[in-house]
Amino acid sequence: MGSLFLLGLIVFWDTARTELPAFNLTVSPKVFPYAIAILLMVLSAILFIQVLRGNIAVPEGNEPGDPIDKSDYKTFGIVIASLLSYLLLIERAGFVIAASITFFGITVAFDNKRHARAAIFGTIFIAVIYFSFTRFLHVPLPAGILKGF
Amino acid sequence: MNSFNSLLDGFASALTLSNLGFGLLGTFLGTLVGVLPGIGPALAIALLLPITYTVSPASALIMFAAIYYGAMYGGSTTSILLNTPGESGSVITALEGNKMARRGRAGAALATAAIGSFVAGTIATGILAFTAPSIADLAIKVGAADYVALMLVAFTTVSSLLGASQIRGFIALAVGLVLGLVGADLQSGLSRLTFGNQAAVEGIETVPVIVSIFALGEALYIASRFKDLGWNVIPMKGKALMSRDDWKRSWKPWIRGTFLGFPLGVIPAGGSEVPTFLSYSIEKKLSKHPEEFGHGAIEGVAGPEAANNANAAGALVPLLALGLPTSATAAVILVAFQTYQIQPGPTLFLTNGALIWTLIASLFIGNALLLVLNLPLVRLWVQLLKVPRPYLFAGIVTFALLGAYALNASTFDVQVAIAIGIVGFLFRRFGMPITPLILGLILGPNLELQFRRALQISSGDYGTLWASPLSQVLYTVLFIALFTPVITRVMKKVRKDAHA
Repeated sequence: MGSLFLLGLIVFWDTARTELPAFNLTVSPKVFPYAIAILLMVLSAILFIQVLRGNIAVPEGNEPGDPIDKSDYKTFGIVIASLLSYLLLIERAGFVIAASITFFGITVAFDNKRHARAAIFGTIFIAVIYFSFTRFLHVPLPAGILKGF
Repeated sequence: MNSFNSLLDGFASALTLSNLGFGLLGTFLGTLVGVLPGIGPALAIALLLPITYTVSPASALIMFAAIYYGAMYGGSTTSILLNTPGESGSVITALEGNKMARRGRAGAALATAAIGSFVAGTIATGILAFTAPSIADLAIKVGAADYVALMLVAFTTVSSLLGASQIRGFIALAVGLVLGLVGADLQSGLSRLTFGNQAAVEGIETVPVIVSIFALGEALYIASRFKDLGWNVIPMKGKALMSRDDWKRSWKPWIRGTFLGFPLGVIPAGGSEVPTFLSYSIEKKLSKHPEEFGHGAIEGVAGPEAANNANAAGALVPLLALGLPTSATAAVILVAFQTYQIQPGPTLFLTNGALIWTLIASLFIGNALLLVLNLPLVRLWVQLLKVPRPYLFAGIVTFALLGAYALNASTFDVQVAIAIGIVGFLFRRFGMPITPLILGLILGPNLELQFRRALQISSGDYGTLWASPLSQVLYTVLFIALFTPVITRVMKKVRKDAHA
């Protein structure tokens, strides 16, 4: 909630600090960002008041008053780590390696016990996807260090 | 009968052997992805978008049409057998269809969903074929200021009708608008919100955003709270067939659902939730067996399923004629068009007429392929529901990341995807609807463009924005939608009835 207000402030600040280009436009490119920034800040203020009055956030599908489980940050962390490893590896090691690691990481996060099986299945699955995209659909994906296979 | 001839030409170009092949592949893949629990049609299309990057526009459109119908049907299968609706439009199907399945009538529920979708899809596509061109003719006369009003109305209705809280809908919209701002301003070249990042100057790609806000957001959300929950797949006995009595009880709800769903798709009424809930309560009122509702009445599956499908076809009217998406799925289709440099809108029928008629013909074909392919294959889809959850989510996530990267071969898009995935998670956790965000991202830049165009024509006079009669009508509608929550109240009541 606070972060929403902050987002509004960031937009406002970014718009205010940029210098206008020299030519003359009927509508400045700043009008829109200002409007959105103000909208966002007003809305987050309203939401803040609503929450203070007891209208708390409820995930879609839950009814107000349902118990909400505490978040499981360990699992959450493993998923995030898997996503980041893909980002780091995709161009350095190539799609097959990066995606297989991500695949494996997520099966671990979801409490899969048979690690070897998940790793083998994941790698085969990713390899099949890689070849169907590069060979049949002609969508290029980085080969990385496995180039030449 | 000009439309009719164009439509025949459309069929001629859609019905080549290779295009039919793409259609079959699309139906197969669409259903395959749509069956996977938690994946709605919007996400299914977005996930499968990379497949069509390199095929010709006509073949790609046929594949889309097929994927679209396939994903919708796959979603109803999951709703019926697993009670996990992938989108708001199949909530009712899940409610009533799952009860039918529990009573051992899964086959009949699946059949009435499939045939009802086919009937509704065919009728609705027919209406689409004959109304969209005339609406486009009218729309050419719509000025820039009217477009501004039209988009504001679409924003308001979508934001305030979806989800439980109006304010959260608008916040989702505002976040989407902020994302749409990122990059170089089209008219002045001014970099906005790029913070010196070169890759960001080109703006945020919509495909990675859509894929990751659904797929990564959902994966993170499930990972953080429900990873231990299992699913309860209801076994299906017998074939997907309907008895004579089932037919007798289904055909009227199909027709009623169609004529309820289509018009509500044309006007921006907030997606498929309203028509499906309405169809359900109408069928409940008209049924000779009202006591069966809530325990697995076939009318309660037939009507809403037809309404859902007709609604989806109806949403294509504003999309094709005005370039205005009114649901998440329509927004994804708009993005798909844009990857082919096709800009839907009033001029589309003039500039890309042949392609549009091919698309409309493909919708008919995709619909028919679905029926031919899916009723016999239903056992295969049921097997898919047994995929273990770790593998399911791992597959979805890697596929989403592939799509994010493959579009431009750029790691910036992957960064965006991961960041948006976290936003998606936060949205899920705090009950914010996602569709307004997507609409804001896609339509925001368009709104700004039309807004400036209007002011340039009037040389800076803001009065031009509400000068035309059409814009005055639209602003009146906007205020009604905003300040008289009649519709929300009706929805709440219908929803209560449905659950009672």
